[in-house]
Amino acid sequence: MLKKLLLTLLVSTVVSTNGHALPSNKQLTIGITQEFENLNPIIFSMSASSYIYFMASHPLVAIDPDWKWQCWLCTTLPTIENGLAKIIDEKGVKKLHVSWELKPTAVWGDGQPVTAEDVKLSWEIGLNANVSTPSKDIYERIESIAVDPKDPKKFTMVFKEVRYDYYQLGSLYIVPAHIEGPVFAKTKTQQGAYEKQTTFNINPTNPALYNGPYIVKEIKLGSHVILDRNPKYYGKKPAIDRIIMKLIPNTQTLESNLMAGSIDMISELGMSFDQALAFEKRVGKDKTLQSKYAVQYIDGMIYEHIDFNLRNPILADAKVRKALLHAVDRDKLCEALFENRQKKALTMIHPRDIYYAENVTKYEYSQEIALKLLEEAGWKKASSGFLEKDGQKFTLNIMTTSQNKTRELVEVFLQDQWKKIGIELTINNEPARVFFGETVKKAAYPGMAMYAWVSSPDNPPRSTLHSKEIPTLENSWNGQNSGGWSNKRIDDLLVNIFKEFDAQKRKVMMEEVQKIYTDEVPVMPLYMRADVAVIPANLKGFKMPGHQFHSTLNIDTWSLDGSGQGH
Amino acid sequence: MTAYIIRRLIQTIIVVLLLSFVSYALMGLMPGDPLDIACQANPHCTPENLDQMKKALGLDQPVYVRYFKWLQGFMTGDLGYSRTYRLPITDILIPRLINTLYLSVTSLVLSIIIAIPLGVFTSLRPNTKFDYTLNMFAFAGISIPSFWLALMLIIIFAVKLQIFPASGIETIGLEGEISTFEIVWDRINHLVLPVTTLSLLTVAFWVRYTRAKMLETMRFDYIRTARAKGLPESRVIYMHGLRNALIPVVTVIALGFSSIFSGAVITETVFAYLGAGKLIFDSIFANDYNMAMCSFIITSFMVLMMNLFADLLYAYLDPRISYT
Repeated sequence: MLKKLLLTLLVSTVVSTNGHALPSNKQLTIGITQEFENLNPIIFSMSASSYIYFMASHPLVAIDPDWKWQCWLCTTLPTIENGLAKIIDEKGVKKLHVSWELKPTAVWGDGQPVTAEDVKLSWEIGLNANVSTPSKDIYERIESIAVDPKDPKKFTMVFKEVRYDYYQLGSLYIVPAHIEGPVFAKTKTQQGAYEKQTTFNINPTNPALYNGPYIVKEIKLGSHVILDRNPKYYGKKPAIDRIIMKLIPNTQTLESNLMAGSIDMISELGMSFDQALAFEKRVGKDKTLQSKYAVQYIDGMIYEHIDFNLRNPILADAKVRKALLHAVDRDKLCEALFENRQKKALTMIHPRDIYYAENVTKYEYSQEIALKLLEEAGWKKASSGFLEKDGQKFTLNIMTTSQNKTRELVEVFLQDQWKKIGIELTINNEPARVFFGETVKKAAYPGMAMYAWVSSPDNPPRSTLHSKEIPTLENSWNGQNSGGWSNKRIDDLLVNIFKEFDAQKRKVMMEEVQKIYTDEVPVMPLYMRADVAVIPANLKGFKMPGHQFHSTLNIDTWSLDGSGQGH
Repeated sequence: MTAYIIRRLIQTIIVVLLLSFVSYALMGLMPGDPLDIACQANPHCTPENLDQMKKALGLDQPVYVRYFKWLQGFMTGDLGYSRTYRLPITDILIPRLINTLYLSVTSLVLSIIIAIPLGVFTSLRPNTKFDYTLNMFAFAGISIPSFWLALMLIIIFAVKLQIFPASGIETIGLEGEISTFEIVWDRINHLVLPVTTLSLLTVAFWVRYTRAKMLETMRFDYIRTARAKGLPESRVIYMHGLRNALIPVVTVIALGFSSIFSGAVITETVFAYLGAGKLIFDSIFANDYNMAMCSFIITSFMVLMMNLFADLLYAYLDPRISYT
């Protein structure tokens, strides 16, 4: 009897397939691995929070999936050309006056209109010294906001500096003044009090907090968020009635939950890249899985690279840096490790970015060129097979985050490639917390540091390339130019580009930045990381953008076609 | 006895205070504050923003100042706010502790019910087929990593057979749509796989331990004397053998109970179980001082109290032990 039972269990385990049906427009459950916090957009700093928030509220402006800045809550994006942005001379000081109009139909979940007073209050909250705002820089750029006394939907912003990127206010989120105004008035003089007493904390299911296609029905930090369709939403009615966001921190369990039908899709904040590759292969081999899931990839904004520490005398020589680049077959690396789903990077600029330039110095894979450059730099092959200069063996050290399988594989690949031309590479990895918190921050790596920079479209890389951003003891190790690259022309270009209102001229300036960058090779570009998602086969209208404005910002375009049986 | 208990309680408070300071200081010494790392990843975060955020969280002050401020709050019942969630510690920690309590206590009780009788039973039949088979399973249980076992259980019972849910503590979104009985049943269903994971590992260890201690005890002279006196075998086993064998077992079980609030980090993570274990783990890495310190206090207090409890239980089980 027992044997029969065990046999039945074994057979059913091996033979049985997943019995769950495709999801329907009644409900979609999305799995994520990243933690989220409360949904006050002025305060939150976690990526998963903005992923969820975009379903419930819209920002004033954002980048669309085609990588263009667009109005979300406003009617027209102000430009110098359309006259809504004007440079005005105020007592000899140039100021930028920008006129905005909010969508006339835009309302909060309680039916109250979204007004200029909401924008003004949000700016005041973000600017307040007692409120911890991760992107305060955006709020500080604005000098004043004047509400049009005749039209509550209109307002004028005055910017302190005349910069071309005044419209890039993606982090200027709007909260309802009729709800958050009294809370802020009560708490603004006390350090940290607003964060604690905001309605997003006290009563997060109040529909008046949200203006997007969905409202928060239930939120349990560390577990899930339930979002129901917002009956007052002014835009296109979303097709899906209910969205459930489920936090499952372990990526393996996340996949098991997908297979078990506990979740219907894995968002771009879920599966790791190598896991997605393996899952895609599984789907490719199994027709049942093909009818249920689709794996999607898109090149993202995360730039994997190697910082050369230019304080190291070996790496201070540009010829050596160029030789190191020539000696690595990065195409092979992308093919071998990523099956070309993640592409080789030429520079820090993404190929879809408006500033992307093809006309830069390229480094083809060639051991001969590499050896020739090294010979010019004084490095010669010794009997040991390694290069030597003044009796010193060519040894470099590389550091990265430990327990990151992909980066560790890249290190081994580099070790092998550089050994072929006589360079010894030693590896010394550290936990992410130590690596970023101490080593990279204080440029304490002796040779090279491999990690990623996160950027956004149309964003000149001042914070990573300007010489003022070199972290030193004097500036308390502030700045992201960890390698210590200093170039006068680059500094000028990165300062002047923000003053240039002609997009074509900016493009030319950024082309020059990229040309100098590839000529001097202060950093070794590796690849652009891809975003991955696993979606139900019947999900239509889903599009991963590849930038910081997640796919959920366009959730009103999603629909699950009728083949699903529903939950 | 009363004086002994009071002395031990005073010692417990002193040890907890010392441990709290050491833990706080060690957390402060950890390199790389997550705030620095988050700011590095945000193109709009300036060094001035970072300083301001640190000031807002009091991180601009020396560790000892921050510790005494925290201690002052703790003593007056103000556990503070979570730096990660920006909510009062009690709002987050208490529901998590309750969930962990369900998981740990169920698993521990189940383990005791299964392990001790099995350990005794197999010790009375050494070198038999049953003994060998049980030993084999016990060794397997001790050797299998909990994350692997958890994943296997998910694959078999959630993905393939679809008998039990793969993760969570309850079915999301059914609030108000199902009866109280169905809610309880749903919670029990969600407990099955994590409890099985935890219990299998504990049972394996305790069976081995109980068996070894029983085998050792049953060889003592007083057991032979009891049998020579003509006492029934059941009395020899349970009154003379088991009672003496249980003394070291009690220590192990008491220490097992001491970790019921600190939870099972791996099991909770794999099953996305909303418990305190993962919360504590994450709070340490996120430098969420208030959250981590509360957890430290609870955990260390539980360990010390369970040690005291085990010591008191010795006196009950072994009349030769007395505390004066």
